[in-house]
Amino acid sequence: MALPFLSREFLHILGTGQGGRGLLSVAAIALGVALGYAIHLIHAVAVYEMEQAARSLTGEADLVVQSLQGGMDESWYPVVARRPEVAVASPVLELEAKVPGRTEKLKLLGMDVFRADALQPAFFLGGTGDALDRLRPDRIFLNPASAAWLDAREGGEVILQSGLSLVKLRVAGTVNIPGPPVAAMDIAGAQAQFGQLGRITRIDLRLVPGIAAQRAAQSLQSVLPEGIRVEVPEARAAQAAGFSRAYRVNLNVLALVALFAGGLLVFSSQALAVVRRRSQWALLRALGVRRNELAWLLVMQAAAVGALGGVLGVMLGYWLAQAALDLFGPDLGAAFFRGIAPQLAVAPGAAVFFALLGAAAAALGSLSPALEAARAAPARALHAGDDERAFARFGSPRAGAALIVLGGVAAWLPPVAGLPVFGYIAVALLLIGAIVLLPWLSRAVFALLPMPGAPLAGLSFAQLRAAPSRASLSLAPLVASIAVAAAMAVMVSSFRYSLEAWLDRVLPADLYVRAGGGGDTAYFTTDAERLLRGMAGVERVEFARSVAVSLSPGRPPVMLLARQLDPAAPGARLPLIGESLRPGAGQLPLWVSEVAADLYGWGVGGTIRLPIGGRMVEGVVAGIWRDYARSQGAIVMEREAYRNLSGDERANEAALWLRPGTDPGAVARALAAAFPAGALETALPGELRRISLAVFDRTFAATYVLEGAAIAVGLAGLSASFAAQVAARRREFGMLRHLGVTRRQIGFMLACQGALLALVALIVGLVLGSVISLILIYVINRQSFHWSMDPAVPWAALAAFALATVVLAAATAWVSGRQAMRREAVLAVKEDW
Amino acid sequence: MRLLVVCFALLWACGSVVADGYPMVQSGRELRFPDDHGSHPAYRTEWWYLTGWIRDGEGKEYGVQITFFRNRPRVAEDNPSAFAPKQLLFAHAALASPGHGRLRHDQRAARTGFGLVQAAQGDTDVRIGDWSLQRTDGDFVARIAAREFRLELRFRPTQPLLLQGDGGYSRKGAQARQASYYYSLPHLAVSGSISVDGATRQVSGTAWMDHEWSSEILAPEASGWDWVGVNLKDGAALMAFRIRDQQGGTLWAGGALRSRNGETRILAPGEVHFEARRRWRSPRSGATYPVAMRLRAGDLVLDLEPLMDDQELDARRSTGTIYWEGAVRAVRDGAELGRGYLELTGYWKRLRL
Amino acid sequence: MRANPEDLLALRGLAKSFGRRSLLRDIDLEVRAGEYLAVMGESGVGKSTLLNLIAGLDQPDAGSVVFEGRELTRLDDDELTLLRRRRMGFVFQAFHVLPYLTVAENVALPLLLNGMPRQETDGRVAELLAAVGLGDRAHSRTAELSGGESQRVAIARALAHRPRLLLADEPTGNLDADSGRQVLELLRRCTKDQAASVVMVTHSPEAAAFADRVVRLTAHGLTAA
Repeated sequence: MALPFLSREFLHILGTGQGGRGLLSVAAIALGVALGYAIHLIHAVAVYEMEQAARSLTGEADLVVQSLQGGMDESWYPVVARRPEVAVASPVLELEAKVPGRTEKLKLLGMDVFRADALQPAFFLGGTGDALDRLRPDRIFLNPASAAWLDAREGGEVILQSGLSLVKLRVAGTVNIPGPPVAAMDIAGAQAQFGQLGRITRIDLRLVPGIAAQRAAQSLQSVLPEGIRVEVPEARAAQAAGFSRAYRVNLNVLALVALFAGGLLVFSSQALAVVRRRSQWALLRALGVRRNELAWLLVMQAAAVGALGGVLGVMLGYWLAQAALDLFGPDLGAAFFRGIAPQLAVAPGAAVFFALLGAAAAALGSLSPALEAARAAPARALHAGDDERAFARFGSPRAGAALIVLGGVAAWLPPVAGLPVFGYIAVALLLIGAIVLLPWLSRAVFALLPMPGAPLAGLSFAQLRAAPSRASLSLAPLVASIAVAAAMAVMVSSFRYSLEAWLDRVLPADLYVRAGGGGDTAYFTTDAERLLRGMAGVERVEFARSVAVSLSPGRPPVMLLARQLDPAAPGARLPLIGESLRPGAGQLPLWVSEVAADLYGWGVGGTIRLPIGGRMVEGVVAGIWRDYARSQGAIVMEREAYRNLSGDERANEAALWLRPGTDPGAVARALAAAFPAGALETALPGELRRISLAVFDRTFAATYVLEGAAIAVGLAGLSASFAAQVAARRREFGMLRHLGVTRRQIGFMLACQGALLALVALIVGLVLGSVISLILIYVINRQSFHWSMDPAVPWAALAAFALATVVLAAATAWVSGRQAMRREAVLAVKEDW
Repeated sequence: MRLLVVCFALLWACGSVVADGYPMVQSGRELRFPDDHGSHPAYRTEWWYLTGWIRDGEGKEYGVQITFFRNRPRVAEDNPSAFAPKQLLFAHAALASPGHGRLRHDQRAARTGFGLVQAAQGDTDVRIGDWSLQRTDGDFVARIAAREFRLELRFRPTQPLLLQGDGGYSRKGAQARQASYYYSLPHLAVSGSISVDGATRQVSGTAWMDHEWSSEILAPEASGWDWVGVNLKDGAALMAFRIRDQQGGTLWAGGALRSRNGETRILAPGEVHFEARRRWRSPRSGATYPVAMRLRAGDLVLDLEPLMDDQELDARRSTGTIYWEGAVRAVRDGAELGRGYLELTGYWKRLRL
Repeated sequence: MRANPEDLLALRGLAKSFGRRSLLRDIDLEVRAGEYLAVMGESGVGKSTLLNLIAGLDQPDAGSVVFEGRELTRLDDDELTLLRRRRMGFVFQAFHVLPYLTVAENVALPLLLNGMPRQETDGRVAELLAAVGLGDRAHSRTAELSGGESQRVAIARALAHRPRLLLADEPTGNLDADSGRQVLELLRRCTKDQAASVVMVTHSPEAAAFADRVVRLTAHGLTAA
């Protein structure tokens, strides 16, 4: 008998009576599923593209011999090539080449076409024209992405920066390498043109058939120094995928929040239905439907709603993913996968999974109301006036308190596989716990609030206070969304406040000059350094060298920053946090960024082994500093020490202190004139500060939108349940109209109740939100991104937010309760129970 | 004469008539040995070319070809990088066995440097990784590790050097500068081993070596050439070539016939005629080759019969062309007079851009 | 036709139909000040509609309702609401006492709506509760009351602000015979004490017996019983 009945029940949910709420549940679940599925699709595309790109860059190499820092001496090439297990050894000089006037670097592969032919057929096939162009030092081959990025065509010119001078390269053809922008040229030309003589960065290997890659890797590693590592190419692809992991997980959590909200809406709509249709279901029970059958029926009915949301969500998700890819690329604008031209593939397995997830969220949401409906004693439920008793069952102070305690415990647990799994669980437990506690909490809050003297306000208040459990059901979505929004607001504000303070600390100089900024091909030579020091108006210059250092096979490289600083007072240049250490004589002091300390488990006083200048160097962690700039970690050492260890005399950045009264702008202009156009980037600290904050604000703009969406969902929930409550109370309003309460006064009562509910939601939601914000700051962000921040509460914004919520809730209640003002409501006094 | 690599040179030189930057090949330069066995890096192109007939212990016969090419592209002469492509080396190796039906061949291409790839001056010592050709104790020793076979062969001279053309100055066209320095070593005694199909066999036989270098060879209107070198059974040696134009006509021809007693007769362009007797079409490239030829060289008339039809070599990944290089028998009136190698180029595509 | 100045309420030629169903036609009725009038009739004949028209809760299709000399059909919703608030009281079949308020708070409601300060309501509320015999239940929750008690609270509430006209719709419909009689006695006594007029709609002759005058509403119109 269940099936036809089910379909009618189902229609009932979507029908006019419950329509708003039912559709809202479907929409919220669809949104959650869509977000999750879209993120999954985009991620799948990104990983596929990254793997493809990584594979086409290393070709069909069996092994890759990779330098950990600053490349390796080319004399390792014949050593590796002569090994008996090696069939083909292809030397590669991979450079992040500075394109004057652009922030992003161009990945430039210097290759030996004859060797690459065996391993990178793509490189060999794509070109046209003169075969000798592949050997000429002034020719460059672009892949489709870089050709588009640089807007260059075959026969055209590409200008790259070498040191502080410019290198003109003729575009001789294309290389058929899919994925992000990559250019290729002859290895000898690349070495000579970019000041890299004697240096290569990796050797791709094809092994003699029949030799296992792992065995060969071991025997090769045994003849190579520690600073050079033999890797299987897959590890490089994994590293690429790992790059965006934390970012992706956070997006997935947003999807889960949406699903949670959907489940919550299903819960509150089912709970209201349980109350409203209690007697109907009791009749079914009286007619012989068994308890489990009724519960099963209600859960399945919710699951059907969820599945509908799931199916819609999967369709929406596909569309969303396509739109996002078209607009921003697979990294959603985070520039991890710059220039990838993505191809979306439907993942049927994942589609089914996400649709089922929607059904599961709805089924879970309906579980408690369904069990309650099944538990109700039919005889009693058949009688009128049993509502509040039914509502009261949904709250359990003991269960709520237990969930909150569990959440508190979960917040202290360490990350799982580098992800703040328990942090998210803690947030979920706190949210659910608070919602379970809500009837109890709202009773407590109503008891605490003074009864307003004005008769109508007092009446409104009395009406709410009389049914706290019922009120709390309308509040659940609103409390959850206020908590999430407030937590995000506090977290973002803390982050911004800390970033501002950090910027003030790290930008002490008057003018900053950059050559390439981390790229391999743009740098200050010692001559350029002298020139800079001698500029008119310049009192003091501090140079810094930054190079990438690979420390662990599965991780992206860490930045090694060699800068001028006083080891006795490193705090003058670095925003140190916690204790620091005066290293002993003969020890190499290193100051590691928080991110690096977290990722590699370093503590002050510990020792680190670093590959510098082709050998392993041991240093002592003298301090940990806060760094919001380098998400993969950074290590600072004295420039002098770095120069001695590596022989690398170059620098990428310079901080200029000017003589009093000197115009920084004039110095910047003089500098620009002294070097080729576009070779230097100069910036005033104020500009850098402004740009950084602008980037921050842009990045987090989406959060504000999400906060707004969360509140909208919460208010929608409030609206739907409020409408249902007003419907249930229409006789009461009708009586008041008889007694001479005007239509406007009824509206005022409704608004009062909305505002009151919002007030309760705000009190609970803000307390909950502050706790969640602490978890976001100290657990989730810390474990995902390894950035610490100082909590800062945006009081004014929160006050405005609270006020807006109250006003919006009042308006929502007024609008959704306006049926109480209609003429029919007046006549409802005749309706019997 | 081995003009094959010219296709590569020309591909790059784009038909320039002046050997700009390269020394010109001129008559009157006396070849000196062992220095001239070694590399001449200043010239544009150079090759060492070994072809021969060998036989294993079971009497099974094979044709074998080992070629090293050197090229100076002049694109990175002043680049201080150790990777600077100042000299490029290419190598082809092929093994023909009638039972297999198809030529087994492989190739290498590399820039010199790091001791891994080199063409030494002073005496023959050319290597690309594990492919090498060296002159030791007067013998030429070749080691080739190819995809389908391995060769460890020693080539012992049994006759003196044969200087082609005018004391080693070999004209290739109507212009005096269209020429090469060119000498041959016929009747080399081959010993050593080949590894193929999982078995290593001791082999012996007779081979022919050419060593030739130049800066400019082909006339712009040339489209390919036919070349043959035959070790005659009586100890005599014959080399003949012709350069074809686009219509298949002869632009230039030449050759040399050295009798058993060492008398050498240089053949003038009008004394050499090639005539196709049978053609074979490659199922892979679609090119049609005159694999059986009647050759008139001075008074000598020979029919050239291939050891097998399919001796096509696809060298697109090194020198950029497809050609036919095959073991042939020299027959007259049904009687075998000698054995040699025939080279047919320019039948797949014109060797000119 | 001119209105008699002694009449508190006068209906003239009143007609009301719902869709194609004509419910009331050509109704003429006068209620004098202090008069207790019972309107009897079968179910569905339009008794409640008649009450709604008198209270200004519904608009007639034709005719006029004159209350204290004012033509109700010319007043807007707010004016009608204020009129009800100040000059009328209601007693419903289903009582409609608010469950979340105490007995006293329920009775005080009309006073508060008419702007009386909360402190000043106590005396009047006590007086009324004493009159309906619930003086000791002032602070009880209405959920604890019986049906008869609830209706007595409703009567106290209906009279709290000294209305000129009390409209009662089947006030004993939900009550047993004994409670019903008590309620009707109370209703009569209290309205007579305050000199308020009553229009009571009922289908019960026992209830109608408490009225000064009884009219019968049929499909053909209003006739004196």
